[in-house]
Amino acid sequence: MRIELLYYPECPSHERALELLHEALAQEGVEAEIAVIRIETQQQAEQYRFIGSPTIRIDGREVQPQPHLPYRLTCRAFQHEDGRLSPLPSLETLRAALRHPSTEGGEDDGDRTLGV
Amino acid sequence: MEIGHSAYDFELPGVDGKTYSLKDFADKPVLVLFFWCNHCPYVKAYEDRVIQLVNEFKDRVAFVAINSNDPTQYPEDSFENMQRIAREKNYPFPYLFDETQAVAHAYKASRTPEFFVFDEERDLKYHGRFDDNWEHPNQVRHEYVRDAIRSLLENDIPHVSQVPPVGCTIKWKH
Repeated sequence: MRIELLYYPECPSHERALELLHEALAQEGVEAEIAVIRIETQQQAEQYRFIGSPTIRIDGREVQPQPHLPYRLTCRAFQHEDGRLSPLPSLETLRAALRHPSTEGGEDDGDRTLGV
Repeated sequence: MEIGHSAYDFELPGVDGKTYSLKDFADKPVLVLFFWCNHCPYVKAYEDRVIQLVNEFKDRVAFVAINSNDPTQYPEDSFENMQRIAREKNYPFPYLFDETQAVAHAYKASRTPEFFVFDEERDLKYHGRFDDNWEHPNQVRHEYVRDAIRSLLENDIPHVSQVPPVGCTIKWKH
């Protein structure tokens, strides 16, 4: 399983996002390395198809994709099961995405080649 | 802005069609001015908490929210979207648009949300974050803005005067 955490350092949620991701992996019994990718410029945001921090991709599919948003340097919102918006995905959202990466992760948004 | 500094005056349009300046809040002994926006998830995380606080204290405390983000880069933060969100959430405070970003620069604001609490003389007595837990409202231990308001209403000095704000950066124009 390929997991990527992309973050914008001015947004303070990425460390907690990484903790949550590790917690979700542990609870699902999944062993996988997480590629942590720092996004610092608008050019990088566009190159990495980054709509905000944190962006989490599992096997190339985004957790809670929001295809209507432009690529940009900011924090992004995630909707929790209770309807509230948060700077982080819920643990359950991450666990579900790990269990069913091809469905829970949402629509693929095209070329996922990173680091080009 | 340093603790003790006087509030800068401004003249900004509100989502209700009125223009606001400091004198519009002069009838209250405490002023809470906060930088706010539409798109930031930290603002969203705090939205209900702030509305609750405003409704609790609005008879004795003036509250005003200011959006200084550049809407050309972040269209969700446009004045029209400010009006829509204020209407949808029934904001109990004036929500102002700082289109030139001059007010954010004057206050040396850097984040949304970021709070400035002024006393009756409009000297800054607290600056920073709303409370100590943006993630879990039920696990908050220190309500910095609420505590500052209470202290000032009791003619006391807030025990905590400054805690770095947590949230999105203000989106400056290039």
